[in-house]
Amino acid sequence: MSENLIKSKGTLYIMGKKVAAGELNCRQNNATFTDKKGNTVFEFEYAHIRALKNVRNGGMTSTITLKMADEKEYVLMLNTGVKVHNHIHANWPLKPTQKSRADELHRLAELRGEKIEKPKKHLIKRRHPNRSIAGDIGIYLLLGIVALAMAFPLIFAIGSALKPLDELFRFPPTIFPQHPTLDNFSDLIVTMGQSWVPFSRYLLNTVFITFFGTFGHLIIASMAAFVLAKYDFPGGRTFFNVVVTALMFSGYVTGIPNYVIMSSLGMIDTYWALLLPAFAAPIGLFMMKQFMESLPTALIEAAHIDGAGEFRIFWSIVMPNVKPAWLTVIIFSVQSLWNSSAATVIYSEAKKTLVYAFQQIQAGGIARTGQAAAVTVVVMSVPILIFILSQSQILETMASSGIKD
Amino acid sequence: MSTMQSKSFSKRYFDMKANKLRYGWEKAKRQKVCYLFLAPYAILFFTFFILPICTSIYYGFTYYNILEPARFVGVQNYINLVLQDEVFLTAVKNTFVIAVITGPVGYIMSFLFAWFINELPKWLRAIAVVIFYAPSIAGNAYTIFSIIFRGDAYGYLNSILMDFGFIDAPLLWLTDPNYIMPVLIIVILWMSMGTGFLSFVAGFQGIDKSMYEAGYVDGVRNRWQELYHITLPSMKPMLLFGAVMSITSAFNVCDVPRALAGYPSTDYAARTVVTHLFDYGFSRFEMGYASAIATLLFLVMIISKKAISAALEKVGT
Repeated sequence: MSENLIKSKGTLYIMGKKVAAGELNCRQNNATFTDKKGNTVFEFEYAHIRALKNVRNGGMTSTITLKMADEKEYVLMLNTGVKVHNHIHANWPLKPTQKSRADELHRLAELRGEKIEKPKKHLIKRRHPNRSIAGDIGIYLLLGIVALAMAFPLIFAIGSALKPLDELFRFPPTIFPQHPTLDNFSDLIVTMGQSWVPFSRYLLNTVFITFFGTFGHLIIASMAAFVLAKYDFPGGRTFFNVVVTALMFSGYVTGIPNYVIMSSLGMIDTYWALLLPAFAAPIGLFMMKQFMESLPTALIEAAHIDGAGEFRIFWSIVMPNVKPAWLTVIIFSVQSLWNSSAATVIYSEAKKTLVYAFQQIQAGGIARTGQAAAVTVVVMSVPILIFILSQSQILETMASSGIKD
Repeated sequence: MSTMQSKSFSKRYFDMKANKLRYGWEKAKRQKVCYLFLAPYAILFFTFFILPICTSIYYGFTYYNILEPARFVGVQNYINLVLQDEVFLTAVKNTFVIAVITGPVGYIMSFLFAWFINELPKWLRAIAVVIFYAPSIAGNAYTIFSIIFRGDAYGYLNSILMDFGFIDAPLLWLTDPNYIMPVLIIVILWMSMGTGFLSFVAGFQGIDKSMYEAGYVDGVRNRWQELYHITLPSMKPMLLFGAVMSITSAFNVCDVPRALAGYPSTDYAARTVVTHLFDYGFSRFEMGYASAIATLLFLVMIISKKAISAALEKVGT
């Protein structure tokens, strides 16, 4: 069958992302999408085509949505993978987004001078038929109280960091400073300037360890996660089960034998003692593997048919498609490396980390109460800020974090 | 006759085994690439996670202080632990109390609040997740509790209680053995909404909405029925993951008591198994003894994980 069933202009979306604008030609069970210069961008083979949008937000399917100029959307359910013919520009000139049909009707009605009645808004909306309003209110109250209790120590920490010296020891103590000041932070900088090893050195150490530890972990864990998720080979499943058990090994349980192993490898007092265990952190492999499971196998098979090697598949097909998982792995790794004081495996002062140096300042006793609070704020703000910025991506990854027994 | 039969049977059995092995080997050879991809991670993982557990089990049967070569002492370490080391028994008791309270309570709290948060509008949900998750990633922010629970009148809690007239003199929250444990439990619970909580939040969002609609039609009357019959069964994998995370944090309490109650604490009232391990391993360098503690702790954690995954099998069916 070569007759065209649909011929239309519009924008091509893959997994909810805009890819190209151009013209679509659909036939019985295959379609081509050509860009404005007439080059074939994509060639699809599909099981069926329907005008429905069923791609779940953030979900991974081998479905492709086509948004056409006539406002119709076509969903292609592919039975093999996508063949990429051309390199696609990142900054493709896209058409302005179309307004919805309701907006258009409203606009026309306003032009005619008609008045549109807006639907009444209830003060308390009952969102589910089987939810009692009293229960909802109770839950909101409980949530509010507990949220306050959870946030109180952190707010108290920030408040203390901003208090001048006389307010820190005022009786009765206050939560919020009356005369907020940044003195504690500037004092902290002065103290840091007096340290034995220049303070920038500690910062550099932490940045170095965090960066390389995270980078190596991401690559090594993703490679392992890829084969564990997408290939069935002897020993693979057993290996993954062992990794799941290893989620329970804390640094303390393995700390002592690890020290012995590292000293026999000559790694004590080098960065390797921090980096190598961080490369093999089980949580990163676990998250990566669970997320990669949801990648369509058809994608990989299609690349195999085209003659791509395993490494190319991994690097140019799998990795670009699991970006939310990257971010999650990066964040978990950064969190643990940033917070590691490494006092047991690193002895040279010049190789110690920022958190270790901060802890020394904090241990300075009553005289450094204000600075200690400032340190707490500095140390906690980095992981919390990173989390706030990447929350939605992390939650997307966590959705596949379950352990199937 | 019967021996003949059994012989042929055993022969067939071994042939089958050999075939299976050969088949597995062939399969493995064809998928060399997989092993190549796995190798870098597997080598590091083996060296820093599996080997330590094995050596820890081995050193548990020896006297080893790093300077001299390890000397085999049989089960002497374990005998000493149970029969002679009173501090260890205190540590076990404390760890048990902490684990039994903060483990399940933290787990249930994570689940319930993730569930409640899931009903909020989207923007409020994002804020709530940050508020509940922040304490567990805030580094050593728990040290702020040493100001809140400080033993003199400048301590926040003491001053409030004195203001309202509940107490006349400041209480030594972090020094009096009677108060240390409750304070620690509160602080640990404050930090208990970690990775498991995130997993629950994500799990609730991922549940197919049409199942709930089917539930209304089938007569699910209130939120608790919905939770038990629809939500829990589809959350099982997350529940197991959350349980693993809870066990890990409940049994590995070490930094919080060391930072708040001092190291060592008054009357060893805040001594946990891991602080005990830390004491013997990194302060006294009795590695053999510390390894025996680690081995025991590890065993208990594996057993509780097995028990929980067996219990979760029965949920919501």
